[in-house]
Amino acid sequence: MRALPVVAVTMVLVLVLFGAIAGASSPIGLVKVTEGMATVQRGNETLPARLGLALQEGDVLRTGADGRLGVVLHDDTRLSLGPESEIQIDHFVFAPAKGRLGLVVKMVRGVMAFVSGNIAKLSHDAVRVETPVAIVGVRGTQLLVKVETQ
Amino acid sequence: MLSGKLWYERCRGSLVGGCLCLMLLASCAAPGLPPSPAPKQSVFLLIPDPEGKVGNITVTNRTGTQVVDQPHHASTVRSSDDAPSPPSALEETEIKRIFGEALAAQPAAPARFILYFKDDSEELTPDSEALLAEVFRTLRDRGALDISVIGHTDTIGTREYNYQLSLRRARKVADLLVLRGVDRNVLDIESHGEDNLLVKTGDQVREPRNRRVEITVW
Repeated sequence: MRALPVVAVTMVLVLVLFGAIAGASSPIGLVKVTEGMATVQRGNETLPARLGLALQEGDVLRTGADGRLGVVLHDDTRLSLGPESEIQIDHFVFAPAKGRLGLVVKMVRGVMAFVSGNIAKLSHDAVRVETPVAIVGVRGTQLLVKVETQ
Repeated sequence: MLSGKLWYERCRGSLVGGCLCLMLLASCAAPGLPPSPAPKQSVFLLIPDPEGKVGNITVTNRTGTQVVDQPHHASTVRSSDDAPSPPSALEETEIKRIFGEALAAQPAAPARFILYFKDDSEELTPDSEALLAEVFRTLRDRGALDISVIGHTDTIGTREYNYQLSLRRARKVADLLVLRGVDRNVLDIESHGEDNLLVKTGDQVREPRNRRVEITVW
C-alpha cells in the first residue's frame, strides 16, 4: 500500500529534474524580427515571441493571421515565417571543434524563408527541413518553402 | 479564402462542430458556387542566398526524389503519396505573392568587426581605435540584440597565458561598448586564446593579425 506514494513522489521528482535540465539547456539563437501574433512554445509553455527572446532546441515557432517572425540561430542560419505558419527547431548542434553539426527544422504549415548558415557550409548532409509531404536536404543556399497539405 | 481544411480545423473540437463542418464541406461542392481553388500543393523553391551564391536542395518522399539546383526553380508536392515534380521556373511576381511575407521578416545578416591589439597588450592599435566610431554607429543603427565579443591572441607565450590575455582583450572591448550604452546582458564574451588563429602559424610566432577581438552584431 505504501509503494504507490513512493512511486508517485519518485515520478514527480524525475519530472522536476528533467524539467530543470530541459529548462537549463543553452540558447541556440534569438528572435530578431516579430510582428503581430507570434509565439514560441517551449514544452507546455507558450511565450510571446518578443525581440531578443533566446531560443532553445525543440522550440515551436508559430504565427497567426497577422503574424511574422524572423529568428537567427548561432551558426548564422536565418529563418523567417509569414502568417499562419508553424515550425519546430527539432535539432540544433553547432560544435565545429568537436565535428558535431546538425540542424533539423520540422515545418507543419505556412511559408518559411531559410538562409543556411555555417552548419550547411561545413557539412553537406547536416541540414534538413522536414514537412508532411517531403523531406528537403539543404546544401548551402536560400530556400523558400510553402507547406499546404490536402 | 477560407479553405475546407481550415473550416475542418476550426470545427473539429466537437461532434456538433464536426457535423456542421461536413455540411459546410458538402455545400461547397454544390453546383452554382464558384469553382474550387487550385489543388493544394507544397512548394520548395531555391533562390540565391543574399551573397548571390546558389547551392542545391533535394526534395524526397517515399515516391520519388528531385534535386533543384537552378535559382528560382521549384519542385512541388501535392501529398506524401505524390512524387515531387521536376523543377520548373517560378516567375518573380509569383515568388513575391507566395513568399513576400516570409521574406519581409528575414533578419538582416550580422555585422562583423575585427579590432587588433598591440603586442602582449589589451591596448588597441591606432587603426582599430579609429574603427570604434563605426562599431558604435552600427550598434546604434541596428538596435543590437546580441553581440558576441571573442578575444584571440597570437602564439607567443603559453596557452594559459594567452587564454587570459585574450579574455582581457575581450573584456576591454566589452567595457568600451558598455560605456557607450550597450546593455551588458546582450554581450556574449568569450576567449579563444591561441586556439582560433586567423592566420595559421606555428607556436611562438608573433602575428599582429592574430591579436584581435572579433565582434559579431545581431
